[in-house]
This record gives sequence, C-alpha cells and structure tokens, in this order.
Amino acid sequence: MKQRISETLFVEGGKIRCASCAHPLAPAGTGWKQAAALSTVPVAALPGTGSNVEPRVVLRRFACPQCGNLLDTETALPEDPFLEDVVAV
Amino acid sequence: MDPITFSIIRHRLFRVVEEAVITLKHVSGSAITNEGHDLMVSLYQADGSLLMGGVGFLHHLTSAAEACKAIIRRFGGQIAEGDMFLLNDPYTAALHTSDIYLVSPIHHGGKLVAWSACFVHVSDIGAMNPGGFAPDAQDIFTEGFSSPGIKIIDRGELQQDLWDTILNMVRSPEMVALDLRSMIACNNVARERMLALIDKYGTKTVDEACAALIDQSEVKLRERLRELPNGHWQSRQYLEVKGEIYKVLLTMTKHDDTLTFDFTGSSPQSKYSVNCSKWASLGGLFAPLFPLLCYDIVWNEGAIRPIEMIAPEGTIVNCTRPAPVSVATVGAIQSVNNAACSAIGKMLAASDKYADEATAVWHANHFAIFMFGNNQRGRLAIGILTETFAGAGGARTFGDGVDIGGEIPNPISRMANVETIEAQFPIRYLFRRKLTDSGGPGKFRGGAGGEMAIVAHDAPDGGIHYVLSGKGPRFPQSDGLCGGYPGSVNDYVWVHAPQDGHNTDRFAQTLNAIPGEDEPISWGVFPLMGDDALYVRWNGGGGIGDPLDRASEKVMADVTTGHISKAAASEVYGVVESAGTIDQSATDAKRSELRRARLVAGPVQ
Repeated sequence: MKQRISETLFVEGGKIRCASCAHPLAPAGTGWKQAAALSTVPVAALPGTGSNVEPRVVLRRFACPQCGNLLDTETALPEDPFLEDVVAV
Repeated sequence: MDPITFSIIRHRLFRVVEEAVITLKHVSGSAITNEGHDLMVSLYQADGSLLMGGVGFLHHLTSAAEACKAIIRRFGGQIAEGDMFLLNDPYTAALHTSDIYLVSPIHHGGKLVAWSACFVHVSDIGAMNPGGFAPDAQDIFTEGFSSPGIKIIDRGELQQDLWDTILNMVRSPEMVALDLRSMIACNNVARERMLALIDKYGTKTVDEACAALIDQSEVKLRERLRELPNGHWQSRQYLEVKGEIYKVLLTMTKHDDTLTFDFTGSSPQSKYSVNCSKWASLGGLFAPLFPLLCYDIVWNEGAIRPIEMIAPEGTIVNCTRPAPVSVATVGAIQSVNNAACSAIGKMLAASDKYADEATAVWHANHFAIFMFGNNQRGRLAIGILTETFAGAGGARTFGDGVDIGGEIPNPISRMANVETIEAQFPIRYLFRRKLTDSGGPGKFRGGAGGEMAIVAHDAPDGGIHYVLSGKGPRFPQSDGLCGGYPGSVNDYVWVHAPQDGHNTDRFAQTLNAIPGEDEPISWGVFPLMGDDALYVRWNGGGGIGDPLDRASEKVMADVTTGHISKAAASEVYGVVESAGTIDQSATDAKRSELRRARLVAGPVQ
C-alpha cells in the first residue's frame, strides 16, 4: 500500500520512493537525502537575485537519481548539514 | 448546553472582536495601524488565557495572554472595574517596546469575568532611533520606555500624571496619544459588547459556552493532529546584520496528538536588536499554526494545549535581559514564523487528506523603514513605509501564490496607497510595482513581491531621514516546498545622485535608470536628501514542485505578464521560445538536458 510522505515521495514495500518514477531511495522511516543526486546552485546565480546576496549561500537541489525530478530543495551555507525530514511509517 | 445557544454565543464573541478592531482602526490616525493593519484585538478569560483570538498580527495572541497574566500577578486584588493597564516590556510579555498592549479587565456584577487586550505599533516609543525599531540600540535600556505593567486608567479615570509622563518620553506625543486613545476606545467597545452578551444570556451560560469553546478547540486540533502522520521536519532560517550571520533552526516533531517545536541549534543571542524573547518566539510559532492548522478551529487556549516549545535560553529565539529586541518583529520572530510555516507545510504535504492545505513560505522578510523628519507642512512626521506589509503568497500544492499577497502571520495585512504616503512625508514615488523573477520557481510559482523607488519632494529641510532594519538582503527566506525554489531576496539601494547635478532623471522607471552611484544598504539611519533615491525590493513567496514540471503555457504567460524573465523561462523552467511561441520539441529537449545535468552531480558524498 502506498503512503504519501510528501508531494514528491511515497513509501511502498518498505522503501521511500520517487513519486515520479518509483525509484527506491531509502528504507521507510529514515532520512532519504543521502540517496538523492545533489546539485548546488549559488543563490547569487539565480534569476532575480539581489545586489547584496551572500556569496556562499547555495540552493541545494535533491533530485531522483533515476529520473532527475526534483524531490526537495533547501537554502544552505556549505558548513550546515542537510535538513532532516523523517515521516514515521 | 444546547447547540444553538452555544453557536450564537460563539458568533457573538467573533463579532465583539470584529467591532473592536473596527473601532481601533477608526480612531487611530497612523498608517501603520489603519493601512498596514499592524494591530491585534483579542478576548481573554478571567485567568488571562486566550478565549477568542482576533485578526491582525497573530503572534500577539499568546503574548497578550501573558500580558494579562502578568497584570494579574502584579496587581492581584487591586484590579477594579473600569481599570486599564499598559504593558510593553518584552521580557514580561510584549514583542518589542513599540508594540504597546492595553489590557482591560471586564467585570460583571462586581466579578472579574474576562479581559480584552489590544496592541498597536505606536508612532514612537523614545528609543535611540525614531519609530521604535532601533538598529543603534545595544541593550533594552536604549530601546525606549518599557513597562512591565502600569494602571493607566483607574476605575474609569485616566491617570493624567502617567499619561503625561509617557507622552513626555516620545518624539511624537500627539500621534502616540491618538494611538493610545484608539486602544482605549477599542477596549471600551469590547467591554461594552461583552457585558451586553452576558446581560442577555447570563454569566453561567456564557461561562459554560466559553469553556465548551475552549474544549472544542482542543478536541478538534488533537483530532487533526492524529490524522496527520507522525514524524519530524526541520527548517532553517538565516538572517544577517552588519556581516554577522545568525540562524534559527527548528525541529518540529509530531507525535500522536501533540506537536513540539524545538529551536535547539539556533544561534546565540545577538548584540544587535534582532533577538526575541521567549514569549515572542511562542507567539511567532503560533502565528502560522493558527491559520494553517486551525483554519476552522477557534483560536483559543484549547488550541494552545497540544503545543510545546523548546527555546534554549541565551539564543536568538530566547534572549536574556538586557539584550536588545526592538527589531524582533522583523528579526527573529519572523524567522520563527517562517521556520514554523515551512515545517508545518512539510507535515501537511505528507498527508493525503491535508496536502491541499500545505503552503510554501510566504513573504518571509519584512523590512522596517521608518521615515522621520519635517514634512511638507513643517510638522514632524514619523511613520513606516507600509509596503513591508504588502507581502507575497507562497505557492500551494494546487496553484500559484498570490502576487503582493500579504503574509501568513497577519491575515489582514496590506499596504497604503502611494498617495497616502506622499501626503504624510515629503517624498515622491518614482515607481511601485510587481517584481520580475521574485516568486520562487516551481510547478506552482510563488507570488510576486514588489519593487519601488522614492526621492525627496517638497521637503523644507531638503529631504528626510529613515531608519532601516530587518533581516538583511543576503539570504532568501521564503523557502520553497517539495522541490520548489525560494522566493527572491530583499534589496535596499541608496542611489547617490551625481554631484554635478546633471543627468538627473526625475521620472526614472527602473533602478538602472536612476542616475548616480548605487550603494547597497541594510541597517542603520540614512538620509534621503537632494536628488538621491532609495530603491527597495521585497521578496516573493516560495514555489512548490519541480519548475521543469510547470506547464509550458503558464511559463510563457508569466513571461508575457512580466512575472518572470526570458532567462528564467529558459534556464530554470526549460521552456524554449521561438518567434513568440513555445517550441515544444526544443522545450522537451531542454528539460531533458536540465534533468540530466542534475544527475551529473551524482549521489550525495
């Protein structure tokens, strides 16, 4: 039985999966970001950026390693850990 | 009790608050109150606990409850019919000194039965800087008059000595007097209407209805929480002051029918006035919680019971006296708002039933720009640029955010017309409009923020000055959700006019067209003199979902309306245009290329 855990992820068969292609990412009830494809973009390089943006701040983009769909994003300084979102199942 | 009587009393309580808000706005003469709606009115039980939360800035609902309780503790048996108390000490209950609470006991038959409480941001509080936000303050002692509770009206009699003392400590006594009188009128109306309600139904029946209302809110919120998945969700907000970076880190844990907000890991308190006290953080997390989880539940003590907050002492979200806090409402409190909104949004998005209630973060970065100086009529004018309340909506799981769409913590926030501000201050707007590329990209885009520029105009002193504070322009703060990007950053630019006086475009329509040298600014007191200009842009809302999943037609429509640039359409949304129409095959190829590029980076190391 499928259980939604976000707009982009669901749990089935004991695994957290990409909602777009069902690729398994991690055991249910755990963090999944380590299994994602991570690309980072400096916020200063995004369209609409301001004149005084912190040069070190990036947008972390966590994508499905199979289909490339974005699963989540977070704004971060390089030294800060990933935000952890864990839904119990 | 019978459900019809219960329902009538419930609705009468709503109307009591509503009429009191109208009174507050009608009597007040300041744009921040009757245009920006930086206000709040609520009703409280005899013990000070929240009975009926009103509209306005919602982080005051719980703080004003604490204000009522502080007055009860301080004055005990000396609380009489017709009294009214003033409290604005942030280490007792208030958010910052310039948000003054006036709380009024309501007696019936000689017995204390309830309280009404309200606040407005008064025109001035005598802090180091005009208007109350004091970026130059180094401690609470330099942030103006601060009271843990005084009786300003004794059995219906205004205490003239106290009144005169307070007004003697502020820069704009006439306006502050009007602010205070608007709150007195507001509480008087609330008291009269409450007494009429009790006269009609009797103390016992009204008490029973109020108790049932509070129990109902608790039962409903606990039921809702049980329907949501268990888990924990994190969010993080950065803010910056003069090169120093601070963060608010939140871990929100939902277990069964309880919700815990833990701010462990947040930065130590700052030497700057962006800190907030414990009561302010509590209010800060409830401001998004009430509308997002209790949209159909009465905002009262019952909705507070299932919630716990952990805010380590000595941090930016629970600072210790005498740390300065005057910028808190556009500083750490708003970071708490944003972090809570983000975490609650993630929890809602994890639920099949409640996914449509999820939202990315709305207008996350207030800017406080208080103008001060002599206006075109030679009178001292102090007041805020209300564009900070204009906001921008976060995207939803089913649609785009609302452009210039307000903010979550204040359901009735709005900005004044340009003409209202120009009539109050010796300034002229060059432009004010929606800002391109400000809404966070996503399958559903965040609502647009805005941009504006002003110059001095008809100023007897050659211009005016302004106090600028907030969380800075260096970090995006309107977080996206489920793959959506954050909304754009704020920006503040002081354009120094050419010294030779030539090439001055008095009607420039963009920042680049304003002649002169740009200087980014973010914190302090600045002049707006001569032909210099101030350019301000404010953030858009966060997006939801992968921007590459946004319908191509919507992307092109956004280009046409100026919501996004052609560069964003191509590089973020992957939509290729040819001769004004969508080249679908090229778009498909571009989107595939952008998806592959994400994979090149590989799995997380």
